[in-house]
Amino acid sequence: MSSHAATIDHHHDSTTSTGIPNKKLLWWAFLASDCMFFGTLISTHLVYRLNPPPGNAIPTQVFNIELTSFSTFILLMSSLLMALAVNAIQRGNVRSTRTMLLGTMFFGCIFLGGQVYEFGHFVHMKHMTLSNSLFGSTFYTLTGTHGTHVAIGVLLLGMMYVRTFKPAAGGGLSMNFLHMLAVAVAAGVAFIVFVPGMIEIIYGAGIGEFLSSHAVPLSVGAAACIAMAWFARQSSTVEFGEKNAIDVEAVGLYWHFVDIVWIIIFTAVYLLEYL
Amino acid sequence: MSAPAATHTPTAVGHHEPSKFHIYIQIAMILAVITGVEVVLVYTPIVKWLVVTALVLLSAVKFMFVIFFFMHLRWDKMFCTILFFIGLVLAGGTMWALLHLFGADAGKPLSAVVGLLLF
Repeated sequence: MSSHAATIDHHHDSTTSTGIPNKKLLWWAFLASDCMFFGTLISTHLVYRLNPPPGNAIPTQVFNIELTSFSTFILLMSSLLMALAVNAIQRGNVRSTRTMLLGTMFFGCIFLGGQVYEFGHFVHMKHMTLSNSLFGSTFYTLTGTHGTHVAIGVLLLGMMYVRTFKPAAGGGLSMNFLHMLAVAVAAGVAFIVFVPGMIEIIYGAGIGEFLSSHAVPLSVGAAACIAMAWFARQSSTVEFGEKNAIDVEAVGLYWHFVDIVWIIIFTAVYLLEYL
Repeated sequence: MSAPAATHTPTAVGHHEPSKFHIYIQIAMILAVITGVEVVLVYTPIVKWLVVTALVLLSAVKFMFVIFFFMHLRWDKMFCTILFFIGLVLAGGTMWALLHLFGADAGKPLSAVVGLLLF
């Protein structure tokens, strides 16, 4: 009983001059600077949309608003899972934290897969490339930069997930490295091959054709998933606990940030085109 | 998957801060509904300025819900809010300035045809 008597204050840190944990302060400062980065990218896109040059692509003929709305919903739900992961670790529930982190990564991969499908569809079916129209240039630069942020977020979540398995007794560095490799490969295959393939199947492509043409990457992804399950079955005591809540929260701040940026992009880049 | 934490276990729930589980679920539902309303709104045959205003307001509401609840600004020290809003105001100001600069006739970007003629 006495070992649990001291409650950790997750919002304040009396050891710093600001009363804010240094990691949290660092992330907020970074996110504030990232706001300006995306602000310039969004305004560049809007400036050229308000003054379109001749021969520009027509967005409503290119976009697939149903898919983008679904991606937006998925990203919002991933934010929910991330918030629940932080909530779980603040209550010392490592197992639930892992589940929520994996769920957030999975939803992030669905969002990225949707973007991979969308980009491929725009290039091959709608013939809108990075260089053949100004709309394409600003659109791919903006949404591609956001997608890169999401991909980095998935990687950070993967690193945090693997870290929850670090043994309390120390060591296990090579195992953690292999575990991280398995997570990265599984996530990569999920958003580059699996999710875009599933979307194509939903839109009428054949399952057999998809499986046969992507047999190698799908097998590698399946092997990575099996490896993840194997690494996750360890039962020794882990170092990770409530004291690491600030680390999960820091990754969570980044993840929520990519969500709020998408909230703006969805309205400014997609929805306003349909008016 | 069920490895226990070295220092704290899930059974010691009574000594942690209150769970925000239900708050998060409710906010996520509100966000999903707002997204649905946004999509429906663009197909609604009403005045354009009203739709644009509604979309901007709804996006702002979603934005605020995420930063104040999911990102914990509501429970953190005010300095975090100030720090983030410095970046946000600078970004918003930059966007406003650029859109107004290039919105003016003299400031419009050269079209591809004019650009080719000049060079």
